[in-house]
Amino acid sequence: MWTGDIMFANAYELIVFILNFIGIYEPINNIFKTLGIEYVLRIIIVFIEIAVLLVFALLTIMFLTWMERKVVAMVQARYGPMVTGPRGLLQPVMDGIKLIGKEDIIPAKADRWVFTLAPFLVFIPALLIFIPLPFGESLIISDLKVGLLYLIAISALSPIAILLAGWSSNNKYSLMGAMRAVAQDISYTIPLALSAIAIVLFTGSLSTVDIVTAQNGTWFGFIPKWFIFLQPLGFILFLIASIAEMGRIPFDFQESEQELVAGFFTEYSGIKFAMFFLAEYAHLFSVSAIVVTLFLGGWSFPILPYLPAVLVPLVSFVVFLVKTYAVIFFAMWLRHTVPRVRIDQLLNLGWKIMIPLALLNLLVTGFLLTVGVFK
Amino acid sequence: MNPAEEIKQLFPDSVVSVGQQIKKPLAIIKKEGLLEVAQKVKEMGFDNLSVITGIDYGDRFEVVYNFFSYVKKQNLVLKVVLGHENPEVASLASIWKVADWLERETYDLVGIKFRGHPNLKRILLPEGWMGHPLRKDYDMNVDQFVTIGEDGEDIVSTDGSNLLRR
Amino acid sequence: MKTDELLINMGPVHPSTHGVLRFKLTMDGEIIRNCEIVMGYLHRGTEKLGEMKTYMQFVPYTDRLDYISAFPNNYAYVKAVEELAGIEVPLRAEYIRVLTLELNRIVNHLVMIGSLLLDLGASTMIMYGFRERENALALFDMLCGARMTFNYIKPGGVREDMPEGFIPKLNEFINDMDMRIDDYEQLVSGNEIFMGRMKNIGVMSAQDAINYGMTGPSLRGHGVNYDIRKMEPYSVYPDLDFKACMRRECDSFARYMVRIDEMRESLHILKQVVDQMPQGKAETHAKYGIAPMTGAPTAVSTYFPRIFTPPPGEVYSRIEAPKGELGFYIVSDGTIKPYRIKIRSPSFCNLTAIPKMVEGLMIPDLIAAFGTIDVVLGDVDR
Repeated sequence: MWTGDIMFANAYELIVFILNFIGIYEPINNIFKTLGIEYVLRIIIVFIEIAVLLVFALLTIMFLTWMERKVVAMVQARYGPMVTGPRGLLQPVMDGIKLIGKEDIIPAKADRWVFTLAPFLVFIPALLIFIPLPFGESLIISDLKVGLLYLIAISALSPIAILLAGWSSNNKYSLMGAMRAVAQDISYTIPLALSAIAIVLFTGSLSTVDIVTAQNGTWFGFIPKWFIFLQPLGFILFLIASIAEMGRIPFDFQESEQELVAGFFTEYSGIKFAMFFLAEYAHLFSVSAIVVTLFLGGWSFPILPYLPAVLVPLVSFVVFLVKTYAVIFFAMWLRHTVPRVRIDQLLNLGWKIMIPLALLNLLVTGFLLTVGVFK
Repeated sequence: MNPAEEIKQLFPDSVVSVGQQIKKPLAIIKKEGLLEVAQKVKEMGFDNLSVITGIDYGDRFEVVYNFFSYVKKQNLVLKVVLGHENPEVASLASIWKVADWLERETYDLVGIKFRGHPNLKRILLPEGWMGHPLRKDYDMNVDQFVTIGEDGEDIVSTDGSNLLRR
Repeated sequence: MKTDELLINMGPVHPSTHGVLRFKLTMDGEIIRNCEIVMGYLHRGTEKLGEMKTYMQFVPYTDRLDYISAFPNNYAYVKAVEELAGIEVPLRAEYIRVLTLELNRIVNHLVMIGSLLLDLGASTMIMYGFRERENALALFDMLCGARMTFNYIKPGGVREDMPEGFIPKLNEFINDMDMRIDDYEQLVSGNEIFMGRMKNIGVMSAQDAINYGMTGPSLRGHGVNYDIRKMEPYSVYPDLDFKACMRRECDSFARYMVRIDEMRESLHILKQVVDQMPQGKAETHAKYGIAPMTGAPTAVSTYFPRIFTPPPGEVYSRIEAPKGELGFYIVSDGTIKPYRIKIRSPSFCNLTAIPKMVEGLMIPDLIAAFGTIDVVLGDVDR
């Protein structure tokens, strides 16, 4: 039975264990040692990890675009894509082929290099967030000691890339859209960080694996010890702030076609446009994964202690995916139910309501911990 | 009492005649006295100006104003007869704001000018259009080509030369 | 240090201007200081065309004015012609006309609510609204063979009588719609974000609204109880029991709620019409291919010729279209073609109020207020 201890510190050690189990690790390692370049093996294993992660990430993003269209269709009482592939599952592939085939237009007076660079600068941080996320028990690329801080810091990189995209388009509307997007991003990073910090008061460590293991176990035998029950206000604030960070409806004004054509990516076409979209879905997945890690227990689930230790990584991975997709489904459902919030109402909400509430949350949590209500 | 009769009593020298237009009281006004009569009509409670129609009979123009009063539930029709050369009449845009665009439309399509109008420009047709279409002597065999310029304003020409862009 | 004013163009092709309409906005930061509207992109010269067609031939042109609600357009023109020529219409035809008018009112309000919410970002409502609209358009298809431009109401009656099986389907539609309107209210009207976007936006006093020529449901949202069906009743409305819906708050939310109330009242009227429908003939014999008959009208039908000459004169008649007061001013000189037709369209006159209403608002508010005025460009430009 699984004892509740983490088996491997990260995926690197898991792969080394598997290679040892098959029996090929030692021979290959010896070959490299005799050549004097044993670090090459380590690099190869890391590349394998990253390749697996990238394949997973890209497949997930493609699946999310399909899922979005199907969820929209279900809410709006119609079918979604049904023609391409069985139940429309090949639709993202077809969309990708179509977008690759489009003409790559760069406006005449735009700054060429920055214009080309900006979509990548938006996409890469969304992928970087995947690194400290625990996908399952011992399935983590790198268990950073400052995992939570890293996550918040990488999220804060996106305003820069958005400004680059808006500025280099040489278009009045793009620039206005980019500035509004930046205003929205920075005003919602603060409540996001503040509500996440309250979690740290419970675990005493910023590492994501520690946060998940602190949520192992149950009260009364059946209520899991997830932080959502200890921090309901923090959960709500974090969820709203992350939906606002991502720029989804109801906080969607930077992409509202009805107002400023398409905001900061008006001038983009073809594969560059596709990268902004992929970045948005990657962001959606990663932010939902963060929500699950912090508040919904990550990969932990009450039945895990009753399983044999070999099955635990697999089952925990499935549990993690189910929880993440539940949060994603909620975000998609919300998107198609409520209208958009106006920009000044949005900034009002962020600065005047959410920051005081987050601070209050922090204060009350700290007080209760000091007094000794939570052991 | 019939509102048209009331106006005839108050402004006897402006009113040419009083009658009926299929159950609505009608008063024909001289064009010089229109503004005063209109002020009085507003005070009498006719706060809804429904429509301003310009009609081109071959030898004269007529402008017809239809009013309705929400309070008294009465109708009133005023008509002004103008000569055929340079038809011009006082503008009611200062009393009823809806007259602003209705008069612009009448100017645009029929060619009647309104004195004192804040912004008498064409409204439905592009700025450079030649002629007033709803006149009976408008030549419909002349083609006019319209395209949109760099600054968003319309360019009109009769020979299509503005359609070729370099 | 002072700031410059920015000229922003919400150009003719724009997702939320409901057609080709151009706003030239002078903005100070985010606030609109001045709004100038440029229209005419859809001008088709309907009034000039009217002078070249006979009275019966002009009816299809009226369909294309406000293409969302084509029956009231037809009816306004036909009512004016009937007043001018003194034509009597059989009672059954009047009831069928009122049925189509009220059904079209429901359709129009569904489209308005759907596109208003689409502009605000909630794309679900337009899908639900169009699903109901499909049912109504199937009814219209059954009645007159067309879904959008009907050409059904003609001087003297209607073109054809109702087919069999129409009334049961209509009853199904009415029952369905009753439940759906409650759904819509729950989904939309109570939503905090929606109320925050619509309350106290686009406020205009009632006197200003009347002065700027606003009529119809937009005006009734300002507390002015002006409904032509009550003030100058026409057709069979005096025999029907309904109330004119009014709200007092003068803002966009009030204008929106008036339309929800009106949809319910229209359903109420439809039920009464179905109950009170008299038997008898409803057609006018102006169908294509049938030789024109001249003769005195009988008690149950009007055999009406395709080409007729009303006496010389002028008439202005108005009806309560779903968007406001739709009126036709017709001048006849005793020939088979009218001398002048002037169309008083509700969207054109409601639009005059927009520049005053949006001063001091932001662009999202302009879109919300503009959506509640319910403008269709076919009506504005004619």
